[in-house]
Amino acid sequence: MIYLIEDTINGILMGSIYGLTALGLTIIFGVLKVVNFAHGTLLMVSMYAAYWTVTLSGFHPYLALIIVVPVMYVFGYYLQDIVIKPIFKAEKNVREPSTVIIVTTGVWYVLDNLTLMIFGPQYRSLPDNSLQGKMIELGDIFISVPKLWGAVTAVATAYAVYYFFQKTRTGRAIRACSLDRDAASLSGINQYKIYNMAFGLGTAVTGIAAVTLVPFYNTFPSVGVLFDIKGFIIVVLGGLGSIPGAIIGGIIVGVIESVGPQFMTATWTEAIVYGLFLLVLFVKPSGLFGVKYDW
Amino acid sequence: MHYFNIHKEEEMKFNRFWTVTAAAGLLISGLIFTGPATAGETTIKIGNIIPLSGPSASVGQQGKNAREMAVEEINAAGGIKSLGGAKLEMLYADSESKPEKGVSEAERLINTEKVNVLTGCWNSAVTYPTTAVAERYGVPFIVPVSVSDKITEQGFKNVFRIAAKDSWWTRDQFAFLKDMQAEYNTPVKKLAFVYENGDWGKGMAGQWKKLAAENGYEVVLDEPYPSTATDLSPVVQKIRRSRAEVLLLVSNAADAILLTNTLAEYKVRLKAIVATGGGHADPFFIKAVGKNAQYLFDIVEWETDINKPGAKETNEKYNARYGYNLTGEAVDAYVSMYVIKDALERAASFDKEAIRKALAETNLTSGPGMIVGYDAVQFDSSGQNSHASPVIVQINDVGNGLERITVWPKSARRAGYTPVFPKP
Repeated sequence: MIYLIEDTINGILMGSIYGLTALGLTIIFGVLKVVNFAHGTLLMVSMYAAYWTVTLSGFHPYLALIIVVPVMYVFGYYLQDIVIKPIFKAEKNVREPSTVIIVTTGVWYVLDNLTLMIFGPQYRSLPDNSLQGKMIELGDIFISVPKLWGAVTAVATAYAVYYFFQKTRTGRAIRACSLDRDAASLSGINQYKIYNMAFGLGTAVTGIAAVTLVPFYNTFPSVGVLFDIKGFIIVVLGGLGSIPGAIIGGIIVGVIESVGPQFMTATWTEAIVYGLFLLVLFVKPSGLFGVKYDW
Repeated sequence: MHYFNIHKEEEMKFNRFWTVTAAAGLLISGLIFTGPATAGETTIKIGNIIPLSGPSASVGQQGKNAREMAVEEINAAGGIKSLGGAKLEMLYADSESKPEKGVSEAERLINTEKVNVLTGCWNSAVTYPTTAVAERYGVPFIVPVSVSDKITEQGFKNVFRIAAKDSWWTRDQFAFLKDMQAEYNTPVKKLAFVYENGDWGKGMAGQWKKLAAENGYEVVLDEPYPSTATDLSPVVQKIRRSRAEVLLLVSNAADAILLTNTLAEYKVRLKAIVATGGGHADPFFIKAVGKNAQYLFDIVEWETDINKPGAKETNEKYNARYGYNLTGEAVDAYVSMYVIKDALERAASFDKEAIRKALAETNLTSGPGMIVGYDAVQFDSSGQNSHASPVIVQINDVGNGLERITVWPKSARRAGYTPVFPKP
């Protein structure tokens, strides 16, 4: 029983972090209606940014947020503005432009290989810091401190993004764009600027995810791919475009991954996650928290 | 693998083809070399089929370097004394890691170049069909390193392998465990097997299970995991709860790092962790996990600090000439040349059958070539070097930062180092 509690806690913590890594994906999809295949790569770039910030400054890993979040916002903003926007304009009349998906795949390959060229294939982990390897021991129950910080950050970020979309003027403009880009344009909203902002926001949130990951995970050029696949499963599970759906989808995957191996081998839990993914697609294609119409 | 089994009919055609070619070759060479035949042969021709281009070129080049260095040493020391100081002459053929290329080069070296001995081919897939050619012509074939078990399981009389075969890696992990228990008087009963769920991990684990049953260990955990896992704490939890005493691992790079760190975080108490190269032997592994890697055991072919006379000097000489350290593959190639020299001295003949017989009777225990971790080169009836074994290293800090220190077999242990077992 105590094992079950311990594993569930670990699953919830790790799952929230998975949710946070997928949050940017769901934000970008919600607004642009484009599945961003470069999402894992953006996470990888953010992890390098976080890694170098912490390594060079020697700060507490979470202080890297001050640098990583604005840097990644600008990175995402201009990636959309320079690389993706022209394609959007070329495919103005298509609601879900598929060429953009191909462009994001291109961005993925270019950035991954560029990183490989610049930084080499090494696995990098942060030098000793106040979070690395720390554990809270409650009797027999071990709780990882960096994962706890990560989970708290994930929930806080999801709330902040939700609040921003619901309550602020810009948030409402973004939502208007996602509901109907033409009607939004007619009401005086610059839709391409909104797209840039949404992409920047999604990338910045991915930056937050990266900061929560670096204290306990390695940074290497293909790290994005590992989280990419998980991210897609999570957002489809939770409902593409749904913010609480991303976090809850993440927690579901995390708990299966953590509790499952106590009853079977770790190889099988992966199969269960994919099985659940397919099941949700069959039964409720819009995801557990998705709605048939756009939010 | 269809090209491994040439049909009888084709084989005959093949033979006829080569007989004709060889006859033509003889005719041509007879026409060119009109001068009188030299009185008595003065060199022993060694044909080497190794990958010098293609995907394994770098490892092939290392083998060539090591052979060259050994042969220079042997020739400089007076060649083969029982043959009147005959020198060794090296002929290299590029296999490009392709089985068919290896086979045709073997035919050429045997029929056209008239080599006395063949060596090669590193890639097991090339060595396997190529040794069959050597067997057909009765030419002794030394395999420095191609680890596939089946190479020495063909019932051939002309094939001799220096390196340990695949299945001996797991055998030696268990021999090491047994020796450590005796040396430190610390019994071990419970083993945990945790391995990546690909071909490699599953193959190793299959052999572990057999060995564990034979040696009376209790397997408390048998856990394949995906190398792409982003969180291995569930697996680590299983290791912790299994109350295993020794953990055996097969891991790729990212998961080796993640496992090592997570094991340390959960303070999993184990008497020893024994890894199987791969991710744990990655040059960046120690850097990425730091002190969490301390006391970990890993199995490798050869390590530069091996405590054998001449090992250090040979490595220094090699490094000065080629700019990098000897690897397991290079050492096996280097030793091969000394095994050939030893056999030639005893055979005192250029005859292939006499050389084969001398090789079969090899019992090389000392001399400049013996820089390997084990004590002798001696071939069993299948042609496998029965003493061959990898070495086991422990990662520890003895004042120069964390490094890999050879600990097993005991005769190869770094002088002055006492392995830490059980893990504190």
